[in-house]
Amino acid sequence: MRFIHLADVHLGAVPDRGCPWSDKRGEEIWETFRRVIAGIRENPVDLLFIAGDLFHRQPLMRELKEVNYLFSTIPETRVYLMAGNHDYMKQESFYRNFTWAENVVFFPDEKLTCVKDRKLDVYIYGLSYEHQEITAPLYDNVRPVEGEGLHILLAHGGDEKHIPMNVNALAAAGFDYVALGHIHKPQVLLRDMAAYAGALEPIDCNDLGKHGYIEGRIENGRLRTAFVPFASRSYGQILLEVNEETTQISLEEDLKEEIYKRGGLNIYRVILQGFRAPELLLIPEKLKAYGNVIEVQDESRPAYDLEALRKQYSGTLIGDYISFFMEKDRNIVEEKALYYGLQALLETSR
Amino acid sequence: MILKRLTIRNFGRIHEKTFDLSPGINVLYGENESGKTTTHTFVRSMLYGITRQRGRAARNDIYSKYEPWDNPADYGGTIWFESQGKSYRLTRNFYRENQAAELLCEEDGEFLDVENGALENILGNVSEAVYDNTVSVAQLKSVTGPDLARELQNYMASYQGTADSSLDLGRAMQMLKMSRKGHQVQQEKHRKEMEKEQEKLAAKMEYLSQELDELGSRHTKVLEKEEMLQMKSGDDSAERMIDEKIRSVQNRKMGITIAAVIAIVLGTAAFWGRGSFPDGMSRLGLDICIILSAGMVVYTFFARRKLARELGRQKKLKTRWLAQQEKLKWNRETLKETAEEKKTDFFNLQNEYRDYETEMYLPTAQDTEIQALNMAMETIQMLSGNIHRQVGRRLRQRTSRILREITHGRYQEVMMDQELHITVNTPDRSIPAERLSRGTTEQVYFALRMAAGDLLCGNTPFPVILDDIFGMYDEARLTSALHWLADQNKQVIISTCSKREMEILDKEGIPYQRLVL
Repeated sequence: MRFIHLADVHLGAVPDRGCPWSDKRGEEIWETFRRVIAGIRENPVDLLFIAGDLFHRQPLMRELKEVNYLFSTIPETRVYLMAGNHDYMKQESFYRNFTWAENVVFFPDEKLTCVKDRKLDVYIYGLSYEHQEITAPLYDNVRPVEGEGLHILLAHGGDEKHIPMNVNALAAAGFDYVALGHIHKPQVLLRDMAAYAGALEPIDCNDLGKHGYIEGRIENGRLRTAFVPFASRSYGQILLEVNEETTQISLEEDLKEEIYKRGGLNIYRVILQGFRAPELLLIPEKLKAYGNVIEVQDESRPAYDLEALRKQYSGTLIGDYISFFMEKDRNIVEEKALYYGLQALLETSR
Repeated sequence: MILKRLTIRNFGRIHEKTFDLSPGINVLYGENESGKTTTHTFVRSMLYGITRQRGRAARNDIYSKYEPWDNPADYGGTIWFESQGKSYRLTRNFYRENQAAELLCEEDGEFLDVENGALENILGNVSEAVYDNTVSVAQLKSVTGPDLARELQNYMASYQGTADSSLDLGRAMQMLKMSRKGHQVQQEKHRKEMEKEQEKLAAKMEYLSQELDELGSRHTKVLEKEEMLQMKSGDDSAERMIDEKIRSVQNRKMGITIAAVIAIVLGTAAFWGRGSFPDGMSRLGLDICIILSAGMVVYTFFARRKLARELGRQKKLKTRWLAQQEKLKWNRETLKETAEEKKTDFFNLQNEYRDYETEMYLPTAQDTEIQALNMAMETIQMLSGNIHRQVGRRLRQRTSRILREITHGRYQEVMMDQELHITVNTPDRSIPAERLSRGTTEQVYFALRMAAGDLLCGNTPFPVILDDIFGMYDEARLTSALHWLADQNKQVIISTCSKREMEILDKEGIPYQRLVL
């Protein structure tokens, strides 16, 4: 027995609106989903679980038809899916009256239902969101039904506003595997027993790192799961360490090289750290030209020895200025203000 | 603090030289390039160390400038000084690889930790910047009159606002403003992009809602048509009417058929029965009967054909009617489905638009920078205001007093207006700084530096080092400046390349220590 556990595909999402790669990303989200199905067609699994948020918003009829068509091309695989908080079944949702292909089971109620697979001794449990938010812990105190075989729960949510749940208790209740959705970062909660598959493709710049799906199989009578990286790109952070020798061009070259090394297709947030030469006036915005850079955070500081400068300039404006900020427990803005002002005062002095 | 003795082991071009200083006036005499400035830098470096400068200040790299050529590892010397009633000996080696400082309190024979602020305490917290601004007085650099006046004004403005004449508050603020402008431009660009995206969404929504309107009106039209033609789904009254008509035609056809059969039966019977009735009357009757029957048969034949045609027409009518009803129904349903699809699309766009709006109010990286720059400017202004309040008035008063004293009342008062213009008042008029003679400007500058020294050094008297500042003074001015200095009860080191100062001091009988390079 083999299964694939998908979640948070977010078809229809258009990430990073306004960025040059935005529209392309929207297409890639569909494309990657197609690739998953094509992969199953090549090498069929028995079961495909989609633990919510297949769509980014309310699915359109034609989108459901496309998805259903794709499902119909893998007739050997039984597909189990549910609506999550993004594609929740509102009153007029097309989910409600949709006729799915023969191999698809959609959980149509906001109440946990159990379906036994028609070929295998596998019991699948699921429910669909009918509201954007569900604060009731609907998964608490649920128990698998009596029945020899595997009991697999599709569960979406896990935070305060989206069905808070206690995964340990679920596993203890007797579920063999809890296929989780909602949290975009892939993470194993209990080894081979409970995991968030994470978003198939990262949906925004906070979805850092690798994305894909989880594949499970029974080996020697035991269920084994493994994460399969599958997304076409990833979001990453590039930390650029600056020092007193750094110049605008050297920084741009460093970034170019780093992006080349880590993949030019990926999308990055660049963070500058370290101490730069005080006279260097960086233009962080220019770094955006060297790849898919969504943001540049400049956390670098002019290489000033504050304590020494405070001593040196004590009794004058610069001394007062440093003291004013040093006596504070500085937040980000104050920290930046300290260095901005200090740099201006020192660099314009005669 | 009073300097008692300097021993320069190796500093710049000076090698193994010792000076003993008096607590009053000292004249450091030497030709140009003989090492007067080197001596001053030595004293400053002994007191504050040679800090490695960063940024713009690194241009004046003291370390390499005064690094001894012959023996770089032995770079430094010793000074003896007195502060707050105690005598100290301070020895330093500035050599980068082997920096060392040793501070001995000669009374207690105790070594003090230079690194840990002991020296700063002894110096009464006169920082390096304060020292630069007060202890050591260099000549005004400018040559021409207007530049000189500007330099003087800058000095005074800087003192008042920053207590540091080397700062240029105006340029610092300008630099911060320019940085802010850069971020504002970026922010504006970002905002415009966001707005553009939002407009795109809005346009899509607008288009969709037009489409929805159109679909709605088409839907209404179909409904109206259905109503008018009685073709509404489930309404079969029209169909029933046609059916009834068909039935009545069929009935009539049936009646005609029956009539035809009866006529044929009657006619045939009459024909066969004709022979059995010999009498003419009966025959005639039967003949008439036969003819009537024949006529009837002919009539029914035509009538049936007509009815059959009528029936065909009615049936066709029904099929057409049903087809149209079906078509309208299909139209209506398709319109409805399309509308549902578009409605969902619209709903999604609406949500996206709303998400976008929320996102626009999230602070961006640029916001943080702008906020920080604003805070920097506000803080500088606020602190500068504080210094101005504490120093400004007192500085003007003291400068005026000193100027009065060294000019014997010829000049009474130094004023500075909002635009930082200096005017100097004589007993009967005000003279703007630009119109002062070079000599007078130098006097104002001297008064200003002396006043600043008093104010900024606070209660720790420091020596005053006057580096070649009397070059432009005529004899009368120089005499009164020296008298004034002698009266101050302060240690003064006058460095000069001319013998005028010593001649006047000798002539006026003012005691002084002569130091020759």
